[in-house]
Amino acid sequence: MTIRKTFTSIAAVLMLGTAGFGLSIQAASADALADITKAGTINVGVFADFPPFSSASADMSLKGYDMDVAQYIADTLKVKLNPIAVTGQNRIPYLNDKRVDILMSVGYSKEREQVIDFAVAYAPYYIAVIGPAALAVKGKEDLADKSIAVNRGTLEDTSLTEAAPASADIKRFDNYNSVIQAFISGQTQLMVVGNDVGAQVLAKQDALKPEQKFQLLTSPSHIGLNKNEDGLKKAVNDAVAKMLADGKLDESSKAWLKTPLNPENLKD
Amino acid sequence: MAFAWLPGALGDIAHGAATTILLIAVTTLAGTLLSILGAAGRRNGPALLKRAIACYVEVMRNTPFLVQLFFIFFGLPSLGIRLDPILAAMLAMTLNMAAYTIEIVGAGLDAVPGGQTEAALALGLRPRQVFVKIVLPQALKIIYPALTSQVVIMMLESAVVSQIAVRELTYEADMLQARTFRSFETYFVVTLVYLALSMALRRLLVSGGRRALGAGVS
Amino acid sequence: MIEFTSWDIVRNLLLAARWTVLLSLAAFIGGGIVGLIVLFFRIAKNKWSRRIASGYIALFQGTPLLMQLFLMFFGLPMLGLRIEPWTAAALGLTFFASAYLAEIWRSGVAALPLGQWDAGASLGLHYLQELRLIILPQAFSITRAPTVGFLVQLIKSTALTSIIGFEELVRTSNAINNATFEPFKVYGLVALIFFIMCFPLTQYARRLEKQAAAR
Repeated sequence: MTIRKTFTSIAAVLMLGTAGFGLSIQAASADALADITKAGTINVGVFADFPPFSSASADMSLKGYDMDVAQYIADTLKVKLNPIAVTGQNRIPYLNDKRVDILMSVGYSKEREQVIDFAVAYAPYYIAVIGPAALAVKGKEDLADKSIAVNRGTLEDTSLTEAAPASADIKRFDNYNSVIQAFISGQTQLMVVGNDVGAQVLAKQDALKPEQKFQLLTSPSHIGLNKNEDGLKKAVNDAVAKMLADGKLDESSKAWLKTPLNPENLKD
Repeated sequence: MAFAWLPGALGDIAHGAATTILLIAVTTLAGTLLSILGAAGRRNGPALLKRAIACYVEVMRNTPFLVQLFFIFFGLPSLGIRLDPILAAMLAMTLNMAAYTIEIVGAGLDAVPGGQTEAALALGLRPRQVFVKIVLPQALKIIYPALTSQVVIMMLESAVVSQIAVRELTYEADMLQARTFRSFETYFVVTLVYLALSMALRRLLVSGGRRALGAGVS
Repeated sequence: MIEFTSWDIVRNLLLAARWTVLLSLAAFIGGGIVGLIVLFFRIAKNKWSRRIASGYIALFQGTPLLMQLFLMFFGLPMLGLRIEPWTAAALGLTFFASAYLAEIWRSGVAALPLGQWDAGASLGLHYLQELRLIILPQAFSITRAPTVGFLVQLIKSTALTSIIGFEELVRTSNAINNATFEPFKVYGLVALIFFIMCFPLTQYARRLEKQAAAR
């Protein structure tokens, strides 16, 4: 490649970049709730590989605790549910760009509060360290020199990065599928996921005999939404409160999390 | 666009770039060696070996690198073969590149006139010496430009190995965007770094090739 | 607990493969159209037009497709478009393909003897007519093998769109994997489906290459 070409291609990049910048326009900030009612559908961002909260069933439709709650919210608003599969990496941009109206399974963090708003907590979530029975791990200090799989950019990642000693070999993957696969295939010694996510995996692995080693953090899942959407926030909060009151949330908890719902566990 | 995060991220970007360079350096050496063996085996080996090499080439050329990578990293452990992410990446890259370069090297070997081999054999050189000392250097010279392009292509494809948690350039970019929520800006900067890397790599290979293989290499 | 039978796995993978095929076709056709425009610039008489086109080609050939897809995906909102995996995947692959196709066809144009241009001019054809009637048909004809070869590259490249969230073959296989925990089988099947799509094209490209060499 010649120098000339070098310059022209750099010029081309800069042109593309500034074109993007120049054209960046602020989307009209209409009321999200009004938009949803008008469209007759609510777009809900869920993980596609996050059992028992949301994962593929044999016909590739998503099922799980998150899906139950999303369906209930849609029913309360009298609109159709349109689940949209997201990843830890793209879901905040999806929300900010109004590609989805709300996000399921968002743990509270200060960094996130800068860019999104949180509606009420609706699911208990414990972040747990999971490893094979043969490996002795009791607390944070035992994570030293271990390889640990975690989903990049999630609350698991942040809390593990904070808790683990410097010598821990944290391997960050793009999605829950890769985290779980890396652990099951033995590519990492441990993994850090929600304990309910872990429970699904444990049940299927006789050879590895994985078990929960210890809990890293308790942080209930919230529903995430864009800032300044008070109307939508209230509607979501009301729907979840109703679901809690009429026992439907407890039913979902028993069905998917295999335990009755304890409202105490929904506190941050 | 906002780039306030950039100064604090330069160390991470440099570290990622260094890993990308390491990956492609190892792959280039191992891949070239493997493709010379493969091309030689395909020409002069036993029939079974020829078939095996042909199968390997077809399978690798007709399936995506990402799937090969997942297969090696997530699939092979069920056969008891467990590799570190970086080793799995190097293996996947080498196997993928060799499938292309075996054909390139083969074409180069074909292009060396057969008379040269006969002449060298007549001088009393052993067949292996003829291959290593006479035929191979000329073949490499002929195919050097094609080999160079393949190395650059592989370097660009190596972005995918971030998916199995190898801490190379794309992995660092993913980490940065998860921290800063400045997705477009992060990937924009890292794309420029890749562009610079691919240009530098091409120049390095061309000038290195000129020195090692003599004039006439472009 | 959600269960998958082997048939469920195969059926869902095949259904997802439709998207892989559709995306490949869209990108190949789109890339062909944009590539033709780039080609016009690349072989134009104007020096700057040639430089811009070769800069465009160098840019796409000098950066990873994954980065191009990310930029497309996260850059869409800046262009006032909705962030959408399908749009980002189709646009990203279209631009990627246009650069490679333009370069392939340019090599075809360059391979024609200059006499062809002179012959056209002597017939009284103007530039565009010359291109349309004499130069491009020949350039396309001699670059048929690399063009088909690139289509294979493109089909394989669609796998990368799984990373930006497009629900094609690889992404579906990831989701299935998480319910079945049989990566060896699932990725093996995915590889097989890609092989079935690509192998005939690879063989066709080889045959075209042999024909071209024989001529």
